[in-house]
Amino acid sequence: MTNAIFTGLMLGGMYALIAMGLTLQYGVARIMNLSYGEFLVAAAFSSYWLFTGWALNPLLGLALVIPAGFGVSLLLYRVLLTPLVRRARTRGALEVDSILATFGMMFIVQGIMLSMFGGAYFSYSFLAIPVSLFGEILALNRLIAFGLAVAVGLALYLALTRTRLGTSIRAVAVDPMAAQLVAIDVVRTSAFAFALGGALVAAAGVLISMFLTFSASSGVIFTMKALIVVVMGGVGNLLGCLVAGLALGLSESLVATFVDPGLTLAVNFALFLGVLLVKPAGLFGRAQR
Amino acid sequence: MLEVADISVAYGQHRALTDAGLSVGRSEIVVILGANGAGKTSLLKAIAGIVACLPGKRVTLSGRDIAGLPAHEIVEAGLALVPEGRGIFADLTVAENLLLGANPKRARDGEAARRERVLALFPRLGERLGQTVRTMSGGEQQMVAIGRALMSNPDVLLLDEPSLGLSPLLVRELFASLRKVRESGVGLLLVEQNARESLAIADRGYLIENGKITGSGTGTELMSNDAVQRAYLGGIVASAV
Ligand SMILES: Nc1ncnc2c1ncn2[C@@H]1O[C@H](COP(=O)(O)OP(=O)(O)OP(=O)(O)O)[C@@H](O)[C@H]1O
Ligand SMILES: [Mg+2]
Repeated sequence: MTNAIFTGLMLGGMYALIAMGLTLQYGVARIMNLSYGEFLVAAAFSSYWLFTGWALNPLLGLALVIPAGFGVSLLLYRVLLTPLVRRARTRGALEVDSILATFGMMFIVQGIMLSMFGGAYFSYSFLAIPVSLFGEILALNRLIAFGLAVAVGLALYLALTRTRLGTSIRAVAVDPMAAQLVAIDVVRTSAFAFALGGALVAAAGVLISMFLTFSASSGVIFTMKALIVVVMGGVGNLLGCLVAGLALGLSESLVATFVDPGLTLAVNFALFLGVLLVKPAGLFGRAQR
Repeated sequence: MLEVADISVAYGQHRALTDAGLSVGRSEIVVILGANGAGKTSLLKAIAGIVACLPGKRVTLSGRDIAGLPAHEIVEAGLALVPEGRGIFADLTVAENLLLGANPKRARDGEAARRERVLALFPRLGERLGQTVRTMSGGEQQMVAIGRALMSNPDVLLLDEPSLGLSPLLVRELFASLRKVRESGVGLLLVEQNARESLAIADRGYLIENGKITGSGTGTELMSNDAVQRAYLGGIVASAV
């Protein structure tokens, strides 16, 4: 039981981290990024390549992969998405356009990874050392990944709530029209939020690659989980990500342990539907105007 | 300080504003009076860069050409708008709204002192810094909107019907606050339905009808103007006197 809870919490922490990047991209920049999971897997492959090819510790690898994730996402926003942003008359129109554009993007990134690595599953062994915590045996790499996920989530939360730049990012999320009135360059801030989301998904990809096997086509499952967490928690809300992520991780782990591992996906959706029936805008969401 | 000429706005086929022009000086309160749909909001939004204008407009602020700048740079140049319906961040707190108000670079120097002044102008805000704006009363929200605009250190402040929905007592308080803002050197351009109260504090005013500026004068001139009497001040009583 305790083990299932521990596993669930650690899984949930990762889900929360994965979802935070998407909630920035979707909640602030209004880009529904369907290629999100592909970027996570690309980061996992980068970490794999750095570790096996260059013997670079994944924790140090973070220092390379995170800025790369930021840069690539910023470029993507500037080149591919800015034209869509400029022509979109409403945020709804931008969402639809961005779904189409990033759906295409998904196949491109996936195709590149398939051509480079093939369809096989990859993993590497890094700090796969058992440690005992509260009488339970846990893998060190998972613990470290969880700890870093928590640290990143906390840092992001503080940055968004305690700094002027963070507050202006939230201002764009809640009211882009009013944001212009306080001299916020909405397109620029959206680009920054999108790139920040890219940095977060890169971090998540590296951390996950330390303990999970992945393949070039695993991306969609991460996109889906992230989307569930984001919508369940309330779009654009970091606390929502945390609570929904933990709930998802815990429920998966408990069901897998006590009922049947084959049912985790069913539980995902049951939880998702249950929450949305009671709170259509998500746990921490506010009904749309 | 603010000079506007030949602003025209069209929404599709519909002309909302034709060749409007006006000026606002330092420490001056200027009122725009007009019926519903006359184009008052369109005029303020056009000046603030929020709606697109037809070509040909000229807008200068303290001698600098700001026509055609994007809205966020116009704020940076020293023009702040309190829009119809306030345009504040309802999901954020009072303190966060004020913090964002000081987002323009021109507002960073002396931010703390300016915040003190805003809180002295609206003491209620000081008591409610942590409150989410959505949960405040209409009058309090209006204070947040004006306070946030003042935090941007504007040379000119544009206000679109700030007295809308306020009780007579609050309207009087609001106008008293605007007078104090004027004393600090800011120019105010005010759209109002509340003609009597607003002309009483105005240095000058403009009349706008069907998208055209049809008249102007000092506050006292307009107060006794026949058309103004009839349209806004209940002329029957006035002409009987
Ligand atoms: N976004 C828009 N699309 C189409 N027409 C518009 C739009 N905004 C305003 N109009 C039209 O332009 C004209 C002027 O509108 P505006 O809002 O400037 O009037 P106003 O003087 O502010 O009126 P009120 O006193 O009711 O606020 C009106 O006929 C209005 O219907
Ligand atoms: Mg109006």
